[in-house]
Amino acid sequence: MASKSRWADTEEDAALEAKKKREKEEKKRLKAEKAQKAEAERRAQAEAEAAAKQRAAQEQQQRLEPPDDNIPPTKRRKITPEQDDQEKDGTTENESSAKLLRFEAGGWGKSRSVENYDKLNDIEEGAYGWVARAKEIKTGKVVALKRLKFDPNDASGLPETGLREIQILKDCSHRNIVSLREVVVGDDTSRIENIFLVLEFLEHDLMSVLGDMPEPFLASEVKTLLLQLASGVAYLHDHWVLHRDLKTSNLLLNNRGQLKIADFGMARYVGDPPPPKLTQLVVTLWYRAPELLLGAKTYGAAVDMWSVGCIFGELLTREPLLQGKNEVDELAKIFELCGIPTDESWPGFRRLPNARHLRLPKSSGTNTGPIIRARFPLLTAAGSALLSSLLSLNPDRRPTAKEMLDHEFFRQDPKPKHEAMFPTFPSKAGQERRRRRSTPNAPGRGQKAADLGTMDFSGLFASREKEERGGGFSLRMV
Amino acid sequence: MAHMTNPLATVDQLYQRTSFSALPSDLQDAIFFTTQCLTQAAGILLRIPQSVTAQANVILARYWLVESPLAHEFSDTSAAALFLVAKLSAHPCPPRDVCNVYAYLLSPSSVLFKSGSSDKGGGVEDKDKGDPSSYYLSESAYASFRARILALEARILYSLSFDTHVALPHPLAITYLQALDFLDLPRAEIARRVVAYLNTALLSPQLLYLTHQPHALAVAAIYAAARDAGAKMPACAWWEVFDVDREELGFLVVGMRSLEGWVRAQREGEDGVLSAKANGMVTRAYVEGEMRKRGLRIGNGSAGDEMEDEEMALMRQMDEKASQLEG
Repeated sequence: MASKSRWADTEEDAALEAKKKREKEEKKRLKAEKAQKAEAERRAQAEAEAAAKQRAAQEQQQRLEPPDDNIPPTKRRKITPEQDDQEKDGTTENESSAKLLRFEAGGWGKSRSVENYDKLNDIEEGAYGWVARAKEIKTGKVVALKRLKFDPNDASGLPETGLREIQILKDCSHRNIVSLREVVVGDDTSRIENIFLVLEFLEHDLMSVLGDMPEPFLASEVKTLLLQLASGVAYLHDHWVLHRDLKTSNLLLNNRGQLKIADFGMARYVGDPPPPKLTQLVVTLWYRAPELLLGAKTYGAAVDMWSVGCIFGELLTREPLLQGKNEVDELAKIFELCGIPTDESWPGFRRLPNARHLRLPKSSGTNTGPIIRARFPLLTAAGSALLSSLLSLNPDRRPTAKEMLDHEFFRQDPKPKHEAMFPTFPSKAGQERRRRRSTPNAPGRGQKAADLGTMDFSGLFASREKEERGGGFSLRMV
Repeated sequence: MAHMTNPLATVDQLYQRTSFSALPSDLQDAIFFTTQCLTQAAGILLRIPQSVTAQANVILARYWLVESPLAHEFSDTSAAALFLVAKLSAHPCPPRDVCNVYAYLLSPSSVLFKSGSSDKGGGVEDKDKGDPSSYYLSESAYASFRARILALEARILYSLSFDTHVALPHPLAITYLQALDFLDLPRAEIARRVVAYLNTALLSPQLLYLTHQPHALAVAAIYAAARDAGAKMPACAWWEVFDVDREELGFLVVGMRSLEGWVRAQREGEDGVLSAKANGMVTRAYVEGEMRKRGLRIGNGSAGDEMEDEEMALMRQMDEKASQLEG
């Protein structure tokens, strides 16, 4: 085909020659355009388009303007071919008759140096790295610097957890998710050994706020926090991200009542259907969903919703809800609170790897059911309905984050408190002293998921059996 | 939107590449094409899905707009890009596998870059073919290869400011095809052709994936495939429905269709880099020799200056020596 060989010639030529040629073509193009314009105006639109297509086939590299649009023929581009290319992707121009969507996603370049920041003070050293408060020298803006922990001698290179965290945070933009401003590296760029995430700085994390509060949050405040958490989680799930380590110490709070989800060290992208080789050992023990404890190989967004349920409970009592000492104890605590799974409430749970050795107490009606309402007597009916549904043993029964946002609980009085009216707390992250309660760390990568062996929970409800049964009535706890 | 958009090369980056690089553009194009082919071949041997290998192609192309290709051995860069992207995907592959596959692909036994017909001085090769010892990777060679890949992994990330996001046009193209009702063609056939165009475009030294958004690439591939099949396309400006204007479409279609001719010309040309004379993967030593032949200076004015200090040069020489001894 004639057009093909002409283009191929250009392709072969050195860049300089190509440039010259394109300049020539540019002139030709202008001429042709003028002639065309006059001609095209008289034509019917459909006819013009047919012609346009024909031309597209024959002389594409001349890149004629569509004849049917109303660009002034004087429209000009006197630029290098590269700029021409750039314009072609349309980030800047488009004057065709139809209004076309343009997508802008920036470019790329080298990372900046960490020397652009002044360290103010350390905040903490977590399982996945060290965090410090720092100030950008140029702007004076206070940020949190999180150092990517990695072993330069590791045979598998940079840790995928850290890289995934960067990748996911870069893609996320939501008011309830901590924002990643940039990634900087140490000054010596001949060997990349120090990598820092520059994150927005928030004054508190929810765990230390809860730990230091003399009084628990008011119901209205709990609602505000939960709504923000749910909307952040909904955004993540909507963008195919599982966080897999939601807990109060990973939820940050600023002095304006804003909650943001942080620490995406365990997060990953998933698809539908979920990818095959998901890590089993995820989520900090106290927030880990029963299906994970029972060794489920595939899991989904519901594991995050379980954690949200645990956080809900923790917001009410200021204490982590299910503080198991190990996997078996955690499961015991879960069954104690939420009742034991049955084939009706959770069809198929018996097929989970760790459930085979599970010895459960005989299900004898009411006394093995959930006691969530009893545990939170001050919660309204809607509130405890939400909490119970979040803490459903069967992952399919847990609401999605979106459904949670629409829950009646948030429409009831007391209404969620406005963020601006939120109480403030003395900031810990800047200060020296901080009281820390030890929570178990998030599970390490590459560790083996615990094989729970034979578990005997048959004695779990023994004490409940012995409890006094009332004379046919019971106090209703609202 | 992040699933559908890519960061694009800036005008400056493209201009730098074509106008200020020490590398003559024909060599640059040949390096680009062969290295991308190598990445694809490695992806196949490592059984990595094309969705991952294609991302590695794009990451590698982006990296070479920031740092000169000459800063590192091309095959190392290819391996590092593939290793990095695979690690972030659902299909990670251990460094050992990557090293083995590259050792094989770069060995005389590999059939990659060997054109069977033009086998003139092939006496030695025939003997080597299929000889496992030619791609045996000794423990020390493995350790040094791995060390280079890992250093490059960090280097690539640094150069892209850790942004590894790549949106591919392939899924979009299928969606668009569905919207067009597959142009009344056998579905599998037209879809295969479209995907073939998209995959070919990954190899194009025109850097189409760096200058155009996925939706435009998808529409152009459909247009090109439909024309190949002689399909009846809608009479209106259907590409505008997919937010592509005619000019952009024309440019991309020509770009996509031209690669085949360019490669053939390079292969048949007497002293093209891809010709039978230069059998095998293009190496940095070859390019440097070629440049010396043309009387060009190396490592001057390129973006990778800081890497070109004496120590690095020395280390590289040692690496090359070592691999010569082993090879």
